[in-house]
Amino acid sequence: MLSERLGKELLYFDGGMGTLLQSKGLKPGELPEVWNLTHADELVDVHRQYFEAGSDIVLTNTFGANALKFHDSKYGLKEIVDAAVRNVKKAAALGVRDGREIYTALDVGPTGKLLKPMGDLGFEAAYEAFREVMRYGEEAGADLIHIETMSDTYEVKAAVLAAKENTNLPVTVTMIFDEKGKLLTGGDVPSVIAMLEGLRVDALGVNCGMGPKQMLPIVKEMMKYSSVPVIVKPNAGLPKQRDGEVYYDVSPEEFADTMEKVLEEGACVIGGCCGTTPDHIRAMTQMADRRPVHPPAAKEDTIVSSYGKAVVLSRKPVIVGERINPTGKKKFKQALKEHDIDYILKEGITQQDSGAHILDVNVGLPDIDEASLMQEVITELQSVTSLPLQIDTVDIKAMEAAMRIYNGKPMINSVNGKKESMDAVFPLIQKYGGVVVALTLDEEGIPATAEGRVKIAGKIINEAGKYGIPKKDIVVDVLTMTISSEPGSAQITLDALKGVRKKYGVCTILGVSNISFGLPCRPVINANFYTMALQNGLSAGIINPSSEDMMRSYHSFCALMNYDKNCEEYIRYYAGQTGTVAAGPKAALGQQAGTPGLSLKTAIERGLKEEAYHAAAELSKTQEPLEIINQYLIPALDAVGKGFEKGTVFLPQLLMSADAAKIAFAVLKDVLEKKGGETEKKDKIILATVKGDIHDIGKNIVKVLLENYSFDVIDLGKDVPPEVIAACAVKEDVRLVGLSALMTTTVVSMEDTIRLLRREKPDCKIMVGGAVLNQEYADMIGADFYGKDAMQSVYYAQEIFAKQN
Amino acid sequence: MDRRTKEAVRYLGYGNHAVDDGTLALIGDSFDELDQTAGRRIVYRIFDVLFQSGGCMEIGGFPVTSKDLGKNLRGCESVVVLGATLGPETDLLMRRYSLTDMAKTVVLQACGAAMLEEYLDEQQEEIRQEAAKQGLYVRPRFSPGYGDLSIRYQEMILRMLDAPKRIGLSMTDGNMLTPTKSVTALMGLSRQNIACHIRGCEACNKTDCMFRRS
Ligand code: B12
Ligand code: SF4
Repeated sequence: MLSERLGKELLYFDGGMGTLLQSKGLKPGELPEVWNLTHADELVDVHRQYFEAGSDIVLTNTFGANALKFHDSKYGLKEIVDAAVRNVKKAAALGVRDGREIYTALDVGPTGKLLKPMGDLGFEAAYEAFREVMRYGEEAGADLIHIETMSDTYEVKAAVLAAKENTNLPVTVTMIFDEKGKLLTGGDVPSVIAMLEGLRVDALGVNCGMGPKQMLPIVKEMMKYSSVPVIVKPNAGLPKQRDGEVYYDVSPEEFADTMEKVLEEGACVIGGCCGTTPDHIRAMTQMADRRPVHPPAAKEDTIVSSYGKAVVLSRKPVIVGERINPTGKKKFKQALKEHDIDYILKEGITQQDSGAHILDVNVGLPDIDEASLMQEVITELQSVTSLPLQIDTVDIKAMEAAMRIYNGKPMINSVNGKKESMDAVFPLIQKYGGVVVALTLDEEGIPATAEGRVKIAGKIINEAGKYGIPKKDIVVDVLTMTISSEPGSAQITLDALKGVRKKYGVCTILGVSNISFGLPCRPVINANFYTMALQNGLSAGIINPSSEDMMRSYHSFCALMNYDKNCEEYIRYYAGQTGTVAAGPKAALGQQAGTPGLSLKTAIERGLKEEAYHAAAELSKTQEPLEIINQYLIPALDAVGKGFEKGTVFLPQLLMSADAAKIAFAVLKDVLEKKGGETEKKDKIILATVKGDIHDIGKNIVKVLLENYSFDVIDLGKDVPPEVIAACAVKEDVRLVGLSALMTTTVVSMEDTIRLLRREKPDCKIMVGGAVLNQEYADMIGADFYGKDAMQSVYYAQEIFAKQN
Repeated sequence: MDRRTKEAVRYLGYGNHAVDDGTLALIGDSFDELDQTAGRRIVYRIFDVLFQSGGCMEIGGFPVTSKDLGKNLRGCESVVVLGATLGPETDLLMRRYSLTDMAKTVVLQACGAAMLEEYLDEQQEEIRQEAAKQGLYVRPRFSPGYGDLSIRYQEMILRMLDAPKRIGLSMTDGNMLTPTKSVTALMGLSRQNIACHIRGCEACNKTDCMFRRS
């Protein structure tokens, strides 16, 4: 059995395939997998040579065999996979003469497409593509699934899940790194390892991209983090070109020499990738000579990761941003109800800018489909920030949905000592991986003593062990109680914190601000309690990183405890500041007071955000918000818009003005809401850049202007299929749709969209724009209106809704 | 003003108008941020080209039909096929700003485009020097989407270069490159000594050139 041998004895993979096939006549760009059927003898020959050279694990020639790459092939996928497995088995019968146990590995490479949000391939679509080949592979008799040359953690997650959920085969994974130790999609070694270990792969490692020498530092780093056996499969050097041909020039001897160093680092499975030949593998197996391996030691680091970043919870405490949570926040609740994802994303970015290391994400509200909303928010957040996320929900369905599509190893909030909770949460951690927050409460409630809480922590850690979840994946929350209702509770929390640290050596987490509930001037208590908690061993505080008081505690603590080398961070934050705390929540915006005399109109025309903010705030003390909007805001925007039309104002200026207007508008909206005045029900407009087109700058400008004129814009983004636009128009009962296209080739999609809209939503008007269009074109494809610039969209929208309302 | 700043200003549509200080500051910030975050990756290979009739040719064995490309490659014996990208980091940066600062986003787009061009120019210069050693001269870059060369050829180029694996460059179902700040291009190699303008035919003053791309 392979899984019993992995990490206990040295095993050998085979070497390159593509380069050998090219020397046998495969053309660049031709699909090598087809050769399983058309050139079976050549393939059996190559596989046989590898067995003869000593390989234990030989890969099928199925690297690119997936439905996405084979859309234009006349051969079926099943046929190809069957033949590929058959070819390896046949070669084994010919080439293995010492009776050793060998394995046919189904080779699975990347789809060749970039996953959403960076590309257009959906996570589930990638999963489906992998599932198909993997099923065929198992049916055909493969002994394991080897996923390789992956440069995207998200894609690899889809592949591993497909393998685990649809086959019973062992799964090994190797990724492709560059010389800086990064994936092409930005991930680093610890983030990759954290995720793959979480997904419970049988072995992991690195292949392709570079030669054995360049790979050494990466292998070294892998050994530092990995608790599972490490695979190393380098190329025969870096690719070089001669007469248009790619070649590799590390000789078999040199290859074997460097692979010896790789073994010394602790690799358990070795082989070759591009440019390596049976000669390389023979030299390597002779050098290695089945020497004993040392199974990798279990590592103790608690790591959460996103696709691009790993956060290690160690002695230096980390900040978990608490703001993405509707509890007690009216605006956030409203944003959730209105599906205003941008609002949530901005909360995320603000916290990142303020210094958060991890973001807590809670979108739970009664009457909301939490599972689908959670998935959407997680996906969107991961398209704008590389901070790891903490999935915070009591809804197990939402928790699983989010864990499935999360790119990386998430933090999970939470499990507790109740049997029911552990029975539900631990299987998810076991399957998807994650660091879970363990609340020290159980069927009997929250213990009133520190010892009681420590005991529950022990119970949870113990139960987790039964699922194979190591202690490092548990972060204990000993719970913060409100001191105004429970005097003495702060002391209990601090004692419990110290207790779990000492007894189990686990990392800890606390929601800090609960402590001051019901007291005046809460930031004062919060900040001091935070410092005390840090002093008692808190690894991660769930706090508001935009709170100056909390951040002062944090930065001071790090500086004082020597976690901040040379006080660099402290100095960066506080150089040039005096000791007093800026008052009020708007401090960030208002720090540098603007020129008071500058009128709102001028501020907007010049695109000065802070000044616009102050001017609007100032004016609102004496004038009605609606009056201000009509007298200053709109005329200013009009003036800028006219200038843009005439060519005296340019795009960035137009946008700076629009942003300034947006800020002023937000101030006035606040005032309106405080006065209890209903903000008008706004008219909805859909905007989209049509399918096949990613030029969205123009569309985004149109959006900004329309929003400034108080329209409710539903922005469907770019490269949007006609069906999505039509479905949204119907669902939201939208009466005006704006479409943008910039390429001759995508005017066709625009026409398709218009045709579909006419059928599905006949009462809806359609305006179009974008540099390729003109009035004539617009008429030809049946649009109601052509706007040569963004201002025209405003005029037209006003006209349409004035008529209809 | 350095050249990339000038280029960014041009992409922003200023033409001959003076650029305002606010925008100039944004451009400076944007280049700083891009210098820190953007990846720069390129992959290229050289393939033989065979000409057939009617704008048809074979590049590395792949059939290509485009009169405009044919004209531009006339007299060439081989073609440099290349793909380059500023990586997903750049897209992430722009997405992030598109939430909070549209002006910055637009300026980042322009700066990104200028940076990509600058990077390609540098790489092209290296290719030119390499080719010169073998007595070959490089024609300007020709991308799918120019003239009558369909953007559908993007798929072929990516395959020929193994671009997803080598530099993480792939495309959507609609033939859009991902990451977005990316290009694919073809450059002819010929023995005929014509000194092409590095910025391509649009910037070149040899208006009577027989290879000029329209
Ligand atoms: C910026 C740009 C890009 C950026 C796009 C970034 C983005 N997120 O949008 C990048 C660099 C990624 C890009 C890539 C490509 N591009 Co480009 N790109 C441009 C460029 C230089 C500017 C477009 C732009 O944003 N203009 C500024 C905005 C504000 O103008 P606008 O969109 O027209 O919008 C205004 C109005 O039209 C109107 N409006 C717009 N929409 C709407 C909608 C409504 C309802 C209304 C009323 C009004 C309205 O209001 C706006 C403000 O007033 C143009 C050249 C040009 N000068 O047009 C080429 C251009 C559009 N690109 C082109 C091509 C071919 C490509 C590529 C295929 C090239 C390649 N081979 O790599 C790739 C595709 C990449 C991919 N992923 O596959 C060609 C298209 C040729 C054609 N006619 O078919 C162009 C024309 C350049 C050229 N001459 O070759 N590109
Ligand atoms: S016009 Fe200038 S740049 Fe274009 S092919 Fe001729 S010489 Fe080269």
